[in-house]
Amino acid sequence: MTKFVVKRILYMIPVLFGVAFLVFAILSLTPGDPGTIILGVTAKPENIAALNHEFGFDQPFLIRFFTYMKNLVLHQDMGISYQYRRNVWTFIAEAFPYTLLLAVLSMIVQSILGVSLGIFSAVRQYSTLDRICVVVALVFASIPGFWLGLMLIMFFSIRLKLLPVFGAESLAHFVLPTLTVSLTSAAGTLRLTRSAMLETIRQEYIRTAQAKGASERVIIWKHALRNAMIPVVTSLGTGFGASLGGAIIAETVFSIPGMGRLMVNAINQKDIPMVMGATLFLAFIFSMIVLLVDILYAFIDPRIKEKYKNGGRHRE
Amino acid sequence: MNKSSSRRRAQIGEFWRRFRKNKVAMLGLVILIVIVGMAVFADLIVPYSKCVEQLGADKLQGPSLRHWFGTDELGRDLFARIVHGSRNSLMVGVTTSLLALLVGATLGASAAYFGGMVDNIIMRLIDIFTCIPPILLSLAVVAALGKTLRNLIIAMTISCIPGTVRLIRSVVITVAEQDYVEAARSYGTSNARIIFRYVLPNAMGPIIVNTTMMISDMILSAAGLSFIGMGIQPPRPEWGALLSNAQSYLFTAPYMLFFPGIFIILTSMAFNLVGDGLTDALDPKLKD
Amino acid sequence: MSDEKKLLEVKDLSIAYQTDLETVHAVNHVTFSLNQGETLGLVGETGAGKTTTALGIMGLLPKRTAKITSGNVYYEGKDLLQCGKKEMLGIRGSSISMIFQDPMTALNPVLCVGDQIAETLQLHNAKHLTREEIEAKVDETLELVGIPKERKKEYPYQFSGGMRQRVVIAMALINDPSLLIADEPTTALDVTIQAQILSMICELQRKYKTAVMMITHDLGIVAETCDKVAVMYAGEIVEYGTLEDIFTGDRHHPYTVGLFGSIPSLTRSARRLQPIEGLMPDPTQLPEGCAFAERCRYCQEICRTTKAPVQNDHGHLVRCYFEGQPFAGEED
Repeated sequence: MTKFVVKRILYMIPVLFGVAFLVFAILSLTPGDPGTIILGVTAKPENIAALNHEFGFDQPFLIRFFTYMKNLVLHQDMGISYQYRRNVWTFIAEAFPYTLLLAVLSMIVQSILGVSLGIFSAVRQYSTLDRICVVVALVFASIPGFWLGLMLIMFFSIRLKLLPVFGAESLAHFVLPTLTVSLTSAAGTLRLTRSAMLETIRQEYIRTAQAKGASERVIIWKHALRNAMIPVVTSLGTGFGASLGGAIIAETVFSIPGMGRLMVNAINQKDIPMVMGATLFLAFIFSMIVLLVDILYAFIDPRIKEKYKNGGRHRE
Repeated sequence: MNKSSSRRRAQIGEFWRRFRKNKVAMLGLVILIVIVGMAVFADLIVPYSKCVEQLGADKLQGPSLRHWFGTDELGRDLFARIVHGSRNSLMVGVTTSLLALLVGATLGASAAYFGGMVDNIIMRLIDIFTCIPPILLSLAVVAALGKTLRNLIIAMTISCIPGTVRLIRSVVITVAEQDYVEAARSYGTSNARIIFRYVLPNAMGPIIVNTTMMISDMILSAAGLSFIGMGIQPPRPEWGALLSNAQSYLFTAPYMLFFPGIFIILTSMAFNLVGDGLTDALDPKLKD
Repeated sequence: MSDEKKLLEVKDLSIAYQTDLETVHAVNHVTFSLNQGETLGLVGETGAGKTTTALGIMGLLPKRTAKITSGNVYYEGKDLLQCGKKEMLGIRGSSISMIFQDPMTALNPVLCVGDQIAETLQLHNAKHLTREEIEAKVDETLELVGIPKERKKEYPYQFSGGMRQRVVIAMALINDPSLLIADEPTTALDVTIQAQILSMICELQRKYKTAVMMITHDLGIVAETCDKVAVMYAGEIVEYGTLEDIFTGDRHHPYTVGLFGSIPSLTRSARRLQPIEGLMPDPTQLPEGCAFAERCRYCQEICRTTKAPVQNDHGHLVRCYFEGQPFAGEED
């Protein structure tokens, strides 16, 4: 197991290096240079050139990339934001807690709603409540998150004046964003849990358990659930990882100063160090979560644990 | 040869019979046909000029007989904008999914079929892409290439390639491990024949289902990107962009938010319904 | 028939699978009985309705699609088909156990085998055993089926097919059931393992006086293990009798004769195998008359139009006009 974890962490190094290179390459395709961006097109060319020199922008692409990586690895230095001329890390440290809070809250709501209704729906397949769950899940899976967010604002904040709309000052500010993110993704979780449960219930070993005289409750909770959970855990895990970086839309709708807004803003301003720093940070967090999910598998399924023991990397 | 092609036809007939019995899936198909029809015949329904025509006197008018879905802040007819917007929204969703499928199928099938070094290189590259949340990747690409329709499609395609490659690789591996493929190989069938006669037809089911669902996802993502101003640019009508615009009039003109949203939901739902129906029809044993 | 106390009595049982498109008549008016400690072989080719009959007895038919259209299943005089859900839970796994065909899929992959065996005991636990006693009983049962008790913490994937089937058997026998339904328990196993498993089942059966309903398509297994035999074809029992009746009697249903013609024999002089021509009738459209008519060498006009009555020769039942003819007049 330890061998597996160490191997996986070592493997993250080239992957993250690849991510860094990829993002760096994409961003250097972007027209424009930091000098012009900061000082504006009307500034004197020599000032622009001086600033570009300060940022090392006059160096060739590969040199810039390796300088960036050297600073990052040796000095934990993510560079200076073009727009604010302050260290990128300070912005990430400020923004990430908001994103994390939103992601954690959404994950909780999403898993509780999605998994429990999914199990319920599968167990009572074809009942009225199952049909309702399926239809509601389908509708929610087809709703764009930002539209739901705006509708929620219209209803709860404007009509009922129950909840604050914009900003992130209190927990109440997180109610609507959490609903926005979690309701649409809970629909997916419900559908996945339901189909995984239905698939599991059809297995031979479920019939064996029935032949032993196990009640429906025992069959579902002891025999079916654990087997059905593997795809669900994967999807929840990657969903959590993605919502750390991908709650961009909810953050935009609700004006939450999280990572998503930071990124959109940085991309619009062509603030390459900021985009690099944020992307690498999120990719790192994402890889860690994927690793955690893989470790979690071992506790669900003994066969996977065995595979890990042999040092094999878990493959999809 | 003849016999097997007629068998294939019989299979498709059987498949269609099962699909047709599924009322919900048929509903999805009907919605889909209506919306695709709307996109194809947009000019017959309402002339394009109507969506750019700015009627100064009719700004921010609610739904009425004259303007079924109301007008926007410049006095443009929202019904016309939605009808013509369907072209862009559908086009982005479908093109992106098909492109991703094409690239994904090539990479995924090569990885699965050749294995070894090829598999390793492709999958390690995919690992890198997987680490970046798709929406971030799209954003970065759009930012780098510029905000045009073509670049939006490129960006979104890139962001959904990793998933497609993984899916197709695993489907092809599963099929290639089946006994009938082994049997075909054992009596000396050529590689190309195995791929086209045995592997692909049998791998088609999950791939078609997945593509259908992917179109739905892509329509939602495209709307999302347009919404944060990274997608299709005004004055070109697109559903997500219409919503982005509507956000500023949340208090005064909520209908601007309502109608484009309903169309996005219906379209995305129709693709999902058809996808579900295909899944059931391809695998009837899931039904009991 | 016999005066012994009947453990299981299946009377006129019919089961159909109803789907949107069609109705599959899987089991049609099946009647048989089983005494304590006895072994009944249920023989027939794939799709003859053997497993459906077994699931019907266990109350494990798929709820939505399967319908019991007629008949009764008496277990110790009680009609299982009238039993409530709770009551059936108490019977399954304690009085009646079942072994399934494929040991590779019959065990839950994420639970260790010891826990899976113990579960059967815990679910019923009539004797209020403590945790330690249960563990001890699990160890004992494992040894009984030839698995070292040290392996009880291992998971199914660590066992071979034969060993898994032993685990399944341990699970089925730990509560000393009076009836064991074995649904093709050795079909998925290697021939050498088959013999081991079969002789183990027989040995345990003798030891604990368990009645066994042995579902198989292998007449060799029947010859080795069974006291009584029921031959099933297209959901019907076409011939029923003691082992001697079936193997040595000279009046048979043509299908039974066909079955014997389809298996190689070492004792008879080398002959070509004689497969039964044709296929079983479509269970969604069973013929009016004898279901075997299409494939029968002796088929006459009457066979196609009316079902033959059962001919009874001292308990040896044959459902055929012609092979059973000498005994006409003893119809029931």
